[in-house]
Amino acid sequence: MGEDEGEGGHDEGTVDNVSDLTKNPKPPVEELPPSETPWQESLRLFRKDRLAVAGAYVLLLLLLTAVFGKVLTEWVVVFDPEVVRLPEKFLPPLTVSSPDEISAHDRPFGGIYLLGTDELGRDVFARMLQGSFVSLSIGFIAVGISLAIGILLGGLSGFYGNVRLGVVTVDTLIMRFTDVMLCFPTFFLILTVVALLPPSIYNIMIVIGLTSWMGTARFVRAEFLALRKQDFVVAATSIGARDRRVIFAHMVPNAIAPVLVSATIGVATAILTESGLSFLGFGVQPPYATWGNILADGKGFIFDAPWLFFIPGMAILVVVLAFNLVGEGLREALNPKLRRR
Amino acid sequence: MQAFILRNVLQRLLLVFIVSILAHSVIHLAPGEPSEVDPANPRMKPEDIAKIREAFHLDAPLYMQYAYWIRDLASGELKSFKDSQPVLGKIWRRFLNSLPLFICATLLVWTLAFPTGIQAAMHRGAVYDRTTTFAAYTLISVPGFFLSYIVILWVVDLFGVPVIGLKTFGMELAPPLFQTMDRIWHLVIPSLMSALGGMAILSRYVRSQMLEVVGQDYVRTARAKGATEDVVIYRHALRNALLPFVTMFGFLLPGLIGGSVIFEQIFAWPGLGRLGYEAILARDFPVILTLNFIAAVLTLAGTLLSDILYAVVDPRIRTGLQGDG
Amino acid sequence: MHVKRWLLLAPLLLTILLLQSYFWVPTYEKQATGNPARLVTYIEASSGDAKILNPILNADTASSGIAGLVFEGLLDLDENLDFRGRLATDWTISETAYLLVSPSNRLPDGTEVTGTNLANRIQAALQGEAFSELADNVRSIEVLPPAPRTHTLSVLEQDAEGKPTRREVEVTFDVPERVAFSLHRVDQDFFQRLLPVIGDRYLEHFPYERHLTFHEAVPPAIKAQVFAQLPDLFPVAEHNPLIDFRLREGVRFHDGHAFDAGDVKFTYDAIMNSKNLSPRTSDFEPIKAVEIPDAHTVRVVYKRLFSPAINAWTMGILPEHLLNADAMQREMDNRGLSEAARAAFGMRDSQFNRNPIGSGRFRFVEWHSDEYIHLRRNDDYWEGPAEYQDYYMRIVPDLLTQEMEFRSGAVDYYGTQPHQVARYKEDDTYQSFSSLGFGYSYIGYNNRRPLFADPAVRRALGMAIHVEDFLRYLLYGEGERITGPYPPNTKWYDQSVEPLPYDPEAAQALLESKGWRLNADGWLEKDGVVFEFNLITNSGNPIRKNIMTIAQNAWKKIGVKCNTQYFEWAVFLKDFVNTGDFDAVVLGWSMGIDPDLYQLWHSSQAGPQQLNFIGYNNARADDLIVRIRQEYDQEVQRTLTHELHRLIAEEQPYTFLYSPLGTRVLDKKIVLVNKADDGSERYEKIYPIPSGDIMFHFHRWRKLELTPSF
Repeated sequence: MGEDEGEGGHDEGTVDNVSDLTKNPKPPVEELPPSETPWQESLRLFRKDRLAVAGAYVLLLLLLTAVFGKVLTEWVVVFDPEVVRLPEKFLPPLTVSSPDEISAHDRPFGGIYLLGTDELGRDVFARMLQGSFVSLSIGFIAVGISLAIGILLGGLSGFYGNVRLGVVTVDTLIMRFTDVMLCFPTFFLILTVVALLPPSIYNIMIVIGLTSWMGTARFVRAEFLALRKQDFVVAATSIGARDRRVIFAHMVPNAIAPVLVSATIGVATAILTESGLSFLGFGVQPPYATWGNILADGKGFIFDAPWLFFIPGMAILVVVLAFNLVGEGLREALNPKLRRR
Repeated sequence: MQAFILRNVLQRLLLVFIVSILAHSVIHLAPGEPSEVDPANPRMKPEDIAKIREAFHLDAPLYMQYAYWIRDLASGELKSFKDSQPVLGKIWRRFLNSLPLFICATLLVWTLAFPTGIQAAMHRGAVYDRTTTFAAYTLISVPGFFLSYIVILWVVDLFGVPVIGLKTFGMELAPPLFQTMDRIWHLVIPSLMSALGGMAILSRYVRSQMLEVVGQDYVRTARAKGATEDVVIYRHALRNALLPFVTMFGFLLPGLIGGSVIFEQIFAWPGLGRLGYEAILARDFPVILTLNFIAAVLTLAGTLLSDILYAVVDPRIRTGLQGDG
Repeated sequence: MHVKRWLLLAPLLLTILLLQSYFWVPTYEKQATGNPARLVTYIEASSGDAKILNPILNADTASSGIAGLVFEGLLDLDENLDFRGRLATDWTISETAYLLVSPSNRLPDGTEVTGTNLANRIQAALQGEAFSELADNVRSIEVLPPAPRTHTLSVLEQDAEGKPTRREVEVTFDVPERVAFSLHRVDQDFFQRLLPVIGDRYLEHFPYERHLTFHEAVPPAIKAQVFAQLPDLFPVAEHNPLIDFRLREGVRFHDGHAFDAGDVKFTYDAIMNSKNLSPRTSDFEPIKAVEIPDAHTVRVVYKRLFSPAINAWTMGILPEHLLNADAMQREMDNRGLSEAARAAFGMRDSQFNRNPIGSGRFRFVEWHSDEYIHLRRNDDYWEGPAEYQDYYMRIVPDLLTQEMEFRSGAVDYYGTQPHQVARYKEDDTYQSFSSLGFGYSYIGYNNRRPLFADPAVRRALGMAIHVEDFLRYLLYGEGERITGPYPPNTKWYDQSVEPLPYDPEAAQALLESKGWRLNADGWLEKDGVVFEFNLITNSGNPIRKNIMTIAQNAWKKIGVKCNTQYFEWAVFLKDFVNTGDFDAVVLGWSMGIDPDLYQLWHSSQAGPQQLNFIGYNNARADDLIVRIRQEYDQEVQRTLTHELHRLIAEEQPYTFLYSPLGTRVLDKKIVLVNKADDGSERYEKIYPIPSGDIMFHFHRWRKLELTPSF
């Protein structure tokens, strides 16, 4: 993910490898009180990771910002991100709007530009607010799509892998398809598709989702394969429980931990991918503001209005970092092997 | 072993075929025309456009276009839509440009990640460990182009030397040593930028790998025997921790093409990524398809290589691999 | 511990190796002052690479820029946008006009129409007082004998399944006697002026059916199609404008081979060769023949009146000896191509396009794709060598890094954006020049849509937009308000036309007078329908994006609901512009210097894939457009174009916005060198020329070591 825009896919693979191969990143910590449920245990472990906790607070704040952003910029318009005020372009953060230049109707909330104005005199704070919701929804929806496909295919392959369809098994079919998808250089593929298709926000979400499910599919399959041999699943199957029940009542909850971790990191990757696409001019198009395209537009004015570059850049950095730290915290807290020690 | 390799190779050939068909259909079915077919150019008349379409086989059925592409690719006479130059030659020249950047970045990743990761593992929980952890995650999380701009601005303002492009212009008369060093300097920042993320990830990986190995019995035994800490770590632990890294060499290959469009774009580096990007913009189908094809071949060759390496270093895995390419 | 040592040493050594390279690199200061080679090198940054360095094949800006330096045309434009001789020293434009002898007609005096009779009558009439002006223009009159001509025509026919297919029909047309007039000047009204002599209705009819033989039996439907094509192929009255070029002697291509008329003819033939897929075919299509009476004379005969045709000769001339059939054969042999590749091999495939050899001021040295193109001055140039020794076009795709390279002196020029220009204007190190170019931006309304059918509505929409504010704040004054369809730096533009005033109240009042009333939500409404439409443009153009945002905002204020959408260029053209399926677009035109607006504004050009995609349709405008392109007298053209400009400005089919200024920011150390005859030199500050082309004196630029003061 360092060459995030370049080869997100391969790097993501590496991260997954870390999770597969790192069986016990930390030695046993202390004896556990027996009354704790696994989730309480995880929570306690997570709390011990100060970076992850800080990340979680940032994410909470971000979530609130996004919701308020949606409400305050679109439903009850307190911060209007679309008002153009040419005479007040390129004002630095915390500048007070001048009543002589701007009619009362067009003035920003409180008469002050918290984060300054852009090249059209639009309020950057309002645009960032609006963008937070869009950026987050891109991350969540893309990851949602990727998880849905990944869990479905991985689950099918792991549970019904031995079912034969003609000459090949379901497992072979799905895993070969996964291999095919892994053959495309991810960012290049995303770029190709996004550049060739009309640039709608949905296309970007869908394309990111469709090109990032392979990791999830592979480890859900591995998890299912392992779980199938576990006592409680064997027991459930032997007393004649239906497949559906075995899958959803027994296996999915047990396989959910790594999915959660990869989802958290996936959102971070999706936000970075969107900013990379914006940089190349294929990101989300107006009227939607995202942090990625505010940053990409702002880079041209780095000498004239540096805040247009640094504010969205730092915002992306902080949020993506928070997602990554929380993801890492979750990985360690949810790792059952770690718990057992 | 031979049968294992043979089966893997055959499987992968089939995959390449499917990938190429998939890529071909996606690109040809997407809306938009090659930029040579430019109806906005007032100089072009419908007849001219029809002629160009015919020369590019754009009106042929899809499977015929695929056949033409494969035929021309195989005979090495595939031409770019954009400038009618042979595609393979174009790709080869760009590959030569990308190669130094790729090698330099890879060297940086692999040489710097190990000491950092090992140190972090040895000082688990200490300030050093926590700092590197945080730094690693920051590097993973920062948008590459954002950091690059900051670094370029900083270097240019502070040191006053050029960093963009392959070399400094106007140095044709300087001695060869100067010219070589100039070229190396132009490698430093782009390769560092593209290496940072990989470095962060790999050092995390090294750290966790070391931590796992350090807990194993043979390491404890070595320690109990009274070997010095260095001997324990570098002789006993590291050697065993290295095993999984062998497979990662295989994943290096495709990085050449996926390369980094964004860094090449910022640093005006005429590499493969930019070739692909420009081709996408111009809808230069032969170039896009061939690059995708080569990327797929490299990826598969890479996984094959890592499977074989893994099978060689750890025979236990051989059977497991057959089901899971 | 070897392992440990190496693990620590390796990264250390690598880092040291990489970082020490810094000390070998010259700082920007040193590059600019201590490096004499840098002073005679001009480096330009371009965001895109050239595609093909062949003047007859390229269509992109980067390629034409380089091709313009390496190749030279017969003509180019001087400081006032008039033609200037380059490979041609001088040229004359005259005309041969042909009149078919139509025996079914009678002359006004009742006599029979024969070649001699017709010629004599006209000859006699020209002696008279009434025709003195015409007589001055006629050099000679000649009667040509009849001659049969065989032609293959393409017609549509229904095949067995009822689908239309093309079919070729061969016919012979017995061309009757013709009277040929050799004229000094081109006169589009020549035959109209002759009407009193030949009869008012002479030109209206010709019995083609009596002169035609079909080589095979064809159904009547196809015969009808053939007859329909004949008046264009063999018009009763035909104008054949001629251009005679006298070529410069002693000019050599960069490889030393002498340039002559054969190269000009070869270039023309190469363009018309359909295998080469030249994008310039249509520029040369009006040419009937290119004749070369001797090595330094070229006569171009045109099929019909088309005054902009001469522009085509500013295109670079190719060296015949490197691209003719023999040369192609040699290249195919050297490259060892397969049979299939040989069959398809054409000029497009030649390596010449990557190693061009022309006769221009600069000769080609090397081209590293997506990195740079290197040219060196041509010391053998007929006008004397340029001041700069080397010319580089560096490809720096990112606009921000372009600026960083410029600020630190690694490039001499890049496409400065207006906000950057504003900054450099205050900087003492730089000089900047802004001048009008040939482009302009507009908002085009789909005139076919009922919503925009009324000119008053289009006017009201235009009045709501504060273009001056836009120019001031977004272009920092680097743009000029325009009012009509011509580039404002040409003489075709009528400077007296007033732009629309910015007056939202009046705009709203105007719309109200057309029945639009504000509804409860604040939108204009008429018969229950809200005034709402989609404004679209292509993605990736920040200025257009800003125009969209501002227009949307401005219209919202008068109650017009405008939704904005962006599409990728190819999709934008294919799905919206080409099909005419849009409400309004933000776009720009990049125009030529000729006054021909046929493709953009003539009502016949409003079909799918044509350029009058807004569907502008005005009979008077159509008439003016046709007259303008057939007129060879620039003064008359000017009167006509001014009338057309006023007409279109009145109708407001577009809201004409502005013409961006081309800006060049240069280091003040770059000056203009004046060489006196005695060899002494005098430096002068670079100055803009009337036509706006800042590079016009480029060959006399030089970079000094120290900033001069003037």
